[in-house]
Amino acid sequence: MDAFLELSAELTGFSADELRSTGLVEQYRALADGAPENEIIQLWYTGVWRGVIPGERAYVEGLAWKAAGVAAPGTRAPGFGSWEQRPARSAR
Amino acid sequence: MKAVVVGAGFAGSLIAKVLGDNGFRVLVLEAGAEVNHDAVGRFRTALVKSPLKPYRTTAAAPSSNYLINTGPFAYSSPYLRMNGGTGTAWTGITPRMHPDDFHAADCGRGRDWPLSYADLEPAYRAAEWEIGIAADADEQRQHLPVADGYRYPMHALPRTYLDHAIASVVDGASIDGRELLVVGTPQARNGVPVNGYRLDGHQCTGYASCVPVCPENAKYTPLRTQKRWSANVELRTRCVVNRVHADEFGRVTKVSYQRYEDDTSGRHTRHEEEADVVVLAAHAVENAKLLLMSGLANSSDQVGRNLMDHPALLTWALMPQAIGPFRGPGSTTGIEAFRSGPERGARAPFRIEIGNWGWGWSAGSPDSDTAEFVAAGLRGKALREAVADRVGRQFTLQFEIEQEADPANRVTLDHARRDPLGNPRPSIHYGLSDYVKNGLLAAKRVSDRIFEMLGADDHTSYKPDEERYFEHDGEPLRYWGAGHGGGTHVMGASPRDSVVDQWQRCWDHPNLYAVGCGSMPSLGTSNPSLTMAALVLRTADHLVATCRTGPGAALAGPAGSWPPPR
Ligand SMILES: Cc1cc2nc3c(=O)[nH]c(=O)nc-3n(C[C@H](O)[C@H](O)[C@H](O)COP(=O)(O)OP(=O)(O)OC[C@H]3O[C@@H](n4cnc5c(N)ncnc54)[C@H](O)[C@@H]3O)c2cc1C
Ligand code: SF4
Repeated sequence: MDAFLELSAELTGFSADELRSTGLVEQYRALADGAPENEIIQLWYTGVWRGVIPGERAYVEGLAWKAAGVAAPGTRAPGFGSWEQRPARSAR
Repeated sequence: MKAVVVGAGFAGSLIAKVLGDNGFRVLVLEAGAEVNHDAVGRFRTALVKSPLKPYRTTAAAPSSNYLINTGPFAYSSPYLRMNGGTGTAWTGITPRMHPDDFHAADCGRGRDWPLSYADLEPAYRAAEWEIGIAADADEQRQHLPVADGYRYPMHALPRTYLDHAIASVVDGASIDGRELLVVGTPQARNGVPVNGYRLDGHQCTGYASCVPVCPENAKYTPLRTQKRWSANVELRTRCVVNRVHADEFGRVTKVSYQRYEDDTSGRHTRHEEEADVVVLAAHAVENAKLLLMSGLANSSDQVGRNLMDHPALLTWALMPQAIGPFRGPGSTTGIEAFRSGPERGARAPFRIEIGNWGWGWSAGSPDSDTAEFVAAGLRGKALREAVADRVGRQFTLQFEIEQEADPANRVTLDHARRDPLGNPRPSIHYGLSDYVKNGLLAAKRVSDRIFEMLGADDHTSYKPDEERYFEHDGEPLRYWGAGHGGGTHVMGASPRDSVVDQWQRCWDHPNLYAVGCGSMPSLGTSNPSLTMAALVLRTADHLVATCRTGPGAALAGPAGSWPPPR
């Protein structure tokens, strides 16, 4: 496993597999390899890199939403009435 | 009969439809460009997901960001100049007004309507069927009169898990002698149709981004009505009307407009269009601007005055348990108990929306939570769990505070500052009276009580360096603009002190109509667009009846084309 992915996993609390499944590792490595910890976390959690969202996927795959167990608004359709159900336990 | 409608937004699309269906030749002149098809993508990549961000705007027809604030408080409600108007970005919450709101002056502050709730009730039903509203009549009857036997076109939407959690605690409890009850809020969002109604668009699948953009076409927008226009209606986009002309007797003869092609410059050509009837439907602020630029309809000196909005108070907290915010519509229920009553003599009443999108609007979640925990040194699993716990329990209460009509709150023209077409920019002088401030403060106290009942952890804070912060009676407060501008061509019973009559016809000009929330003498505590739509349909019927039978029939009442109670 490469150093950027390893560091990202350690900082975010998401496994390397979870991070890979976002499809963003290459893009984020190019942007943030060597950046301060807080910037790397912000990028993974919110999809924001130095005041810009570098593409739709960065927003869609934001880890803050995944941590909370919900889809980022405007990205997925859980189905009519699904909001009435008890929330699924967020992924840990 | 040839009608020119100025503005293809919420009101203009509706009136054009009815006129076109009834044999008028209708030309709709729309200032904005055509809707862009990449709105969802633009929403996703916008850093700040504010309501106008996804949409295409042009230099020639700026939206609300070209307003100039000159008053003691900022008027911060946006509007959109694009085909479909602000009705494209709206949330789609559609309660009726409270019957008392129609005599706001008698009950509290502000101005009375020349109409009663009962007068408007049939038009409410027509609007609910035209727009497509999901609600349960029996549930609404708990706080409002709804005609016997009536059915909304769609069943009420399912409530959120949060709504159930709150209702299970507060239903039946009291605050200041008011019994609390969580009540479903009517929604312009597709649910399960009743017999006789055909869904237009898809069913709401819970994308949770209704404002500003529904990826599913489940929320009503004016483009739906435009698709139902008959061949009698012609739309011309990129046409900014900048003058309405009247002859020496006050009859309106034609409009002037500026047409542009380029999105980024003020280059344009000039045109004129004659009309038998002109209907201004350009939004409350722009209708006033156009009347002022034309020097029309202002013998009462009320054009542009009485600007109202709903100053909204947001309060936010954590439920004791995870409730799963950011799933489904922004708000599916509210608490209606504070919408009127004797307190209205001293402070503004309010309606409470139960907000299902966490602290998104109030505090910028979940980005703000992440930043907070990262700054506190959390990393790895601890960070992940902290965000999960924090976001999973978030909710917001949104209080829509009534603002009374006050002639000092007004739109004027700033001739020194002009837009790229050379038209004066609107200048807004806006303030909050003690009546409104007392209402905001009372709302905050009710919020404190509700949070206490729920065992919720209150995180509300208003700080002096934040926008729209102020103190009242020593308490910190803040308000947000709800986007509900109205009052600027106010309706009344007399030409001496109002701009339009009960049919939204300008007192000074027999064939000039100004429609929209600008006509409303009070906004009460309801999101205004359903009431606006009801007024528009009532005006359309009046116009059809007048033109069929001559002007004498104008006061004979509506033509009766509305659906019967079902
Ligand atoms: C964020 C947000 C959320 C909202 N949510 C709700 C809600 O949940 N419930 C509710 O009831 N209301 C809501 N509203 C309010 C609602 O959007 C407005 O009440 C409604 O759109 C007003 O309709 P209108 O036709 O007067 O104006 P608009 O819908 O803005 O349409 C006016 C049209 O006129 C055009 N125009 C302007 N000037 C000219 C000109 N000079 N020449 C030609 N055309 C012109 C504009 O381009 C526009 O297309 C919300 C508003 C905002 C901003
Ligand atoms: S919740 Fe989603 S699908 Fe439903 S109206 Fe809102 S954006 Fe559309």
